[in-house]
Amino acid sequence: MSVIDDVSKTLKVGDPAPMVLFEADEEHPLLADFQGQTIVLVFHSGDWDPGRHHQVELLNQVLSSLSHPVQALSIAQSGFWCNLDLGESGHLGFPLLHESKYGELSNLFGVEGREAIYVLDPGGIVQWAHVGPIGAQSTLDDLVESFTTPVRRKGDLSRRDFLVTAVAASFAMSFLSGIAEAVAPRPTTSSHIEKLASDTVRLDVNGKVHEVPVRPNVTLLDALRERIGLTGTKKGCDHGQCGACTVHVDGRRVNSCLLLAVMQEGKKITTIEGLSSGTRLHPVQEAFIKHDGFQCGYCTPGQIMSAVACIQEGHAKSTEDIQAWMSGNICRCGATIGIREAILAVAGSQG
Amino acid sequence: MRDFRYARASSVAGAIVAKRDGVKFVAGGTNLVDLIKYGAEQPDELIDITHLPLKEIEEMSNGGLRVGTLVPNSDLAAHPIVASRYPVLRQALLSGASPQLRNMATTGGNLLQRTRCYYFMDPAFPCNKRNPGSGCPAIQGQNRIHAILGTSDSCIATHPSDMAVALAALEAIIHVQGAEGERSIPISDFHRLPGDTPQLDTTLRSDELITWIEIPSLPDGTRSHYLKVRDRAEYQFALVSAAVVLRKDGGTIESARIALGGVAHKPWRATDVEEALMGQPSSLETYRNATSMSLKQAKGYGQNDFKIELAKRAMVRALVESEDHQA
Repeated sequence: MSVIDDVSKTLKVGDPAPMVLFEADEEHPLLADFQGQTIVLVFHSGDWDPGRHHQVELLNQVLSSLSHPVQALSIAQSGFWCNLDLGESGHLGFPLLHESKYGELSNLFGVEGREAIYVLDPGGIVQWAHVGPIGAQSTLDDLVESFTTPVRRKGDLSRRDFLVTAVAASFAMSFLSGIAEAVAPRPTTSSHIEKLASDTVRLDVNGKVHEVPVRPNVTLLDALRERIGLTGTKKGCDHGQCGACTVHVDGRRVNSCLLLAVMQEGKKITTIEGLSSGTRLHPVQEAFIKHDGFQCGYCTPGQIMSAVACIQEGHAKSTEDIQAWMSGNICRCGATIGIREAILAVAGSQG
Repeated sequence: MRDFRYARASSVAGAIVAKRDGVKFVAGGTNLVDLIKYGAEQPDELIDITHLPLKEIEEMSNGGLRVGTLVPNSDLAAHPIVASRYPVLRQALLSGASPQLRNMATTGGNLLQRTRCYYFMDPAFPCNKRNPGSGCPAIQGQNRIHAILGTSDSCIATHPSDMAVALAALEAIIHVQGAEGERSIPISDFHRLPGDTPQLDTTLRSDELITWIEIPSLPDGTRSHYLKVRDRAEYQFALVSAAVVLRKDGGTIESARIALGGVAHKPWRATDVEEALMGQPSSLETYRNATSMSLKQAKGYGQNDFKIELAKRAMVRALVESEDHQA
């Protein structure tokens, strides 16, 4: 992927939006249908994404800074994302411009695969744009200003055009690793630093390799649950304190909520789903059932993964041992005694 | 979690060259990733150093132990030489965090972990460490877990590491590499007191990477022990901890090194107690006398006043229990 091209292709303030080039089916309206109104256009990943709530926050700010009625439209680059809760302003059903069949609109806007918010004036001209991850703080002053100052058409570069372009470029830089050197060469950059060429990570989970699109800020836990669909691993505290997210990486028990997915390439990950052999449960799973090692079950996958490792490590020889070495897994139903008995039973049977 | 760029370092030199403002090294990530989630750390880029060849534990020709910065806490605790010669280090490591976190956390990262002060971790509050000049709500606020020694008007945070307290009593040396080359820092000079720059936890320069930690050899017969006092039996930070390294000749104390945890911005060497113990008969009475007059400069902030007496008693108990832990 040529990153430079992507940036230069990205629609900027003053550009006319491609209103009529997009076809729609019965369920999905045509963008041209809304011409004559101010349109807020949101490009987003249809899947779960950690940046989404930032995007929603920014979208809320955009909508509240526009004093006149606007039409908010949603472009899901895959999947669905509509019916957004907008807090005080209530519930907003986004007309959805679903383009998974075409992939065309985000391409025309030059934001394919990225998150973006565009404000189009009633004439279909880009009034304001925010392209790239939303994590960085942005100011909406220029948006408000843009409705009092006429926007210059393309070819007539204003200072604000330049600023927005520069902002778009800098966001793209922070999102797409590798571009930093191309756009703003850093003489200090060494060949001993490998910038990731893409945002895809190969994760070996339960013996199967998954190519997972993730940003650097996605944890292994979220990649497992939300990208790969292995929801057996649970998110409890999300801060390494409860142990519900425990998985094995290269045979060791770890908290997947504090591991970055991009750092797990080349490692063997085992989750609760990988423990049984077909329908035959792992001895620790059987023991948890036999000894009543759970009530609500939420901490159970983490408890079992931790228990399997605890026994393998040789730290399950006594009750005191287990109390100490299972301390990273918290059960607030109070099934702790059953859990301990289950572990003791399996450890004892293995001599 | 806030977005950031990510890059992998394949050499120490490459990692150092790429390090600049806004860039953090990441290895275990147990503390850094957590703080990014809270918004207390906001790096623009993380450089993954886990592929660097800094994972070995080796015995040195001078009898000391060379520990690569990337050695996980669990592996260091389980190493036969650590278990046999440095019980204080093994005990400290195993008293910290949970088994899962110890598998992830590295030796260098453990030294560089940040305070667990509630106000530091919550960006909704002012904090001179996180946001210099914004104030310290802990001084007048919830300060049961805070420092009693070496505090300043800017910061009363404690360093949370158990391992670092043991390493302070063992007089470990931190070897680092930076743009200007390599240097070694005695652990007593590695962590710093807050003064009016509490944003700086250590004397490590921004371009420097910890490469390995040297644990000097101990004379035969040296005893060492780590005592951790906390609100629950496992998986809890220390209210007060004491690391003791004691050498005796018969019933007489030849030398004692004592470091306290949970009481200051750095592992606190109780040099007054060490001096008072030298040449004395090893007995409960000696220990009580030596500690009772100690820590004169300690200052409580209300909720943490109890730590002053607790620290003294922890030292006595650690000294007593060290009798059972001869290397």
